[in-house]
Amino acid sequence: MKAMGRVLFDVRKNKYLYVMLLPLFVYYVLFHYQPMYGAMIAFKDFSPRLGIIGSPWAGFGHFMDFFQGAYFWRTIRNTFMISFYDLIFGFPAPIVLALLLNEIRVQIFKRTVQTLTYLPHFISLVVICGMIKDFTSSNGIINDIIAFFGGERHSLLLEPGLFRTIYVSTDIWQHIGWGTIIYLAALTGIDPERYEAAKIDGAGRWKQMLHITIPGILPTITVLLILNLGRMMNLGFEKIILLYSPGVYETADVISSYVYRVGLQDFNYSFSSAVGLFNSAIGFILVISSNWLSRKLNDTSLW
Amino acid sequence: MKAQSAGSRRLSILLSIVIVFGLLMACSKEEKNSAGPSSPAASSANGESQPPVQPSGDPAGAYPVNTTETITSWEEVNDNLITFYSNLADTPFGKQLEQETGIKVKYTHPASGQRKEQFNLMIASNNLTDTIEIDWTVEYPGGPEKAINDKVIVPLNDLIDQHAPNLKKLLQDNPELDRMMKTDNGTYYVFPMIRPDNALVFRGPIIRKDWLDELNLEVPTTIDEWYAVLQAFKEHKGATAPFTAMYNNETNLQDAFIGAFRTANRHYIDDNGKVQYGPIDPQFKDALALLRKWYEEGLFDKDFALNTDTKALDAKMLSGQSGATVHLISGGLGRWMESGKKSDEKFHLVPAPYPTLNKGDTAFIGQRSFEFNPSASKGITTAAKNPELVAKWLDYAYSEPGARLFNFGVEGESYTMADGKPVFTDKVLKDPQYSVQQMISQYTKPNGPFLGDPRKSLNTYPEMDEAAVVWAKTDAAKHLLPGFLTPTVEESQEVAKILTAVTSYKEEMFMKFVMGKEPLDRFDSYVEQIRSMGIDRVTEIYQAALERYNNR
Repeated sequence: MKAMGRVLFDVRKNKYLYVMLLPLFVYYVLFHYQPMYGAMIAFKDFSPRLGIIGSPWAGFGHFMDFFQGAYFWRTIRNTFMISFYDLIFGFPAPIVLALLLNEIRVQIFKRTVQTLTYLPHFISLVVICGMIKDFTSSNGIINDIIAFFGGERHSLLLEPGLFRTIYVSTDIWQHIGWGTIIYLAALTGIDPERYEAAKIDGAGRWKQMLHITIPGILPTITVLLILNLGRMMNLGFEKIILLYSPGVYETADVISSYVYRVGLQDFNYSFSSAVGLFNSAIGFILVISSNWLSRKLNDTSLW
Repeated sequence: MKAQSAGSRRLSILLSIVIVFGLLMACSKEEKNSAGPSSPAASSANGESQPPVQPSGDPAGAYPVNTTETITSWEEVNDNLITFYSNLADTPFGKQLEQETGIKVKYTHPASGQRKEQFNLMIASNNLTDTIEIDWTVEYPGGPEKAINDKVIVPLNDLIDQHAPNLKKLLQDNPELDRMMKTDNGTYYVFPMIRPDNALVFRGPIIRKDWLDELNLEVPTTIDEWYAVLQAFKEHKGATAPFTAMYNNETNLQDAFIGAFRTANRHYIDDNGKVQYGPIDPQFKDALALLRKWYEEGLFDKDFALNTDTKALDAKMLSGQSGATVHLISGGLGRWMESGKKSDEKFHLVPAPYPTLNKGDTAFIGQRSFEFNPSASKGITTAAKNPELVAKWLDYAYSEPGARLFNFGVEGESYTMADGKPVFTDKVLKDPQYSVQQMISQYTKPNGPFLGDPRKSLNTYPEMDEAAVVWAKTDAAKHLLPGFLTPTVEESQEVAKILTAVTSYKEEMFMKFVMGKEPLDRFDSYVEQIRSMGIDRVTEIYQAALERYNNR
């Protein structure tokens, strides 16, 4: 009762904040909680005619089909590998760039670099992938360079061994500039007095970065790392399906692209929901555990 | 430290709100788009208040029908039409059809490219229009019999018999068409799109004639000749990908080259009338070996699996990277000739016959569609209050004046009669701004349930007419599995499950064999793997369905 009163008091006090929260709340209810009801079809033999409720139950049949299917380990492995590489190489990239930009004092150069690195972020993914295809095709610029040094021309995107490299490196190219924004913002929050104090103590640029800048943005880094870990399993299928082909399935086919193929191309809704649900369950575990780990290690966590 | 962390956390929250709002807006926009076209159906279904008229007073086959009723129709609208109109009822075609039949129709159109999704939604919400144009043969899960049992569409036998004299006569005169259109137990389920004889073949090998002439070569007919030609293209014309092809889930060769080895990249019927799965045939290994050799020697496009859209193919054919491919008459041959000639006077493409191993043989298989085109056929739903009227409306498209409207449009506007033959006017053929396809989409219905007219031709080059003849010289009619087989519901599910897995595996291996990533010695274990995935069961189901089809 008392708690209730406190909440009401808080609402009255901060009513505009709550009003601003409302759209977000509605968004989550409508687009994230309400559709969960539809996840039920993972346990059913869904037929559009009979509807979600009317379709017959299938129990864990679709899950078993996936676990025992030929592509279970391959899609899991690929999802993990690509996400893992993305995390190892893609996550630190904007941090490094932000630190470098932070050291630049010539404003015009700094702005130019920032603008240029932002650009790929604003180009539609379809166009980006078209560019990637052109660059890596056997007549593309990369092969021109290889051929110039006497190498043989290959269609790089059709090489299973290169798919992940292409995927991750183009991902960095696409997102590095955009990713720096949040770190640059965090950097401005560092108290300049600390740098002055460090200078007086005789610290050079390198020492200042190690002991003031990086610790200053560490909380931001941690929060983003947790978020990224949580998203590991939700590797977007758009870029994958725009780049892959059956010849590179063995390294490129991830859970979401598999779900897309089975669910939307072959209209096997129930099976693909089951795979998607399984995927979400793993993602859930990942977020919880990385958050727990982070709280243990350095006191920063999402909740 | 603490204060900073709170600051950055606030910032990240702020950022996420911005992102979420962006998403929200994007979502709501899409929502609107998809809801748009379906809302008129809802209003028309409920807004029916006119007194029911007895159209049975009119004798069947008399037009215009005297009625005040409005019927509703759900059908895909031609992409070309969207430039001018958003609803078929507003087009010159729609108006003319209404005038000639005397029947008012409210059309609902799915958004471009979302036909299947919106059809499923409509079925799920049970908000049906009187007639629906979709591929009832394969797109309704479980097939036409199931659609009738589920009380989605009605059997048409009586309706056609009593209210569709034009279609009835066509079916009586053409037993082969009649067989395609029925289910195994003799039920009619759609008003069909009927293709004319000369429009059944529209895809095949295309080659650069100007290059051939320059190199003193003939149009190749056998595999060996093709090999020589492609080598010459590579060496003397600098083609980096002498032979290329579209790639949609598989290399789209229409079984050219593969067919030379008397097999196909899918299920087909062998000379003894038995259904076979081509990719596990022993001779399929030879086909793979051929493509592998061509790939290795740089004759077959090194990037073949990346040609997933027409643009990639356009670029290669028009830039001189490629000199031969397999593609469409108007969408390929005609279109490329037109743009190619703009930059190079000599640019010249010709159709090449489907290649064979020995000179003079007839190609085993090739592209060939059937007279009945199920993908643009209309079924009458259980929601129709007056199915007789709907049947009458649909039957008009098979009458002489009706077919002329569907094929050629409005007399005096889009066509005139010359020597008893309809001829398109310059108004549609020579519009300064829009293409013929765009112009004609306003006056005719490019795809739909009507009787196609063999005299309708939009070919702009004689090579296009030639193509239909050259590519038709195959035994495809004998070896292609008819598209109208109807396995039972359980069988369909079994087939879908097995075939999805098999096709995916087959294609992966196909690419690896061709690209040299997998030794050809592994062919036997590949066959073994496909067998273990249950392909024989699918073949068996198809065989039984084929026999039922033949006995219809």
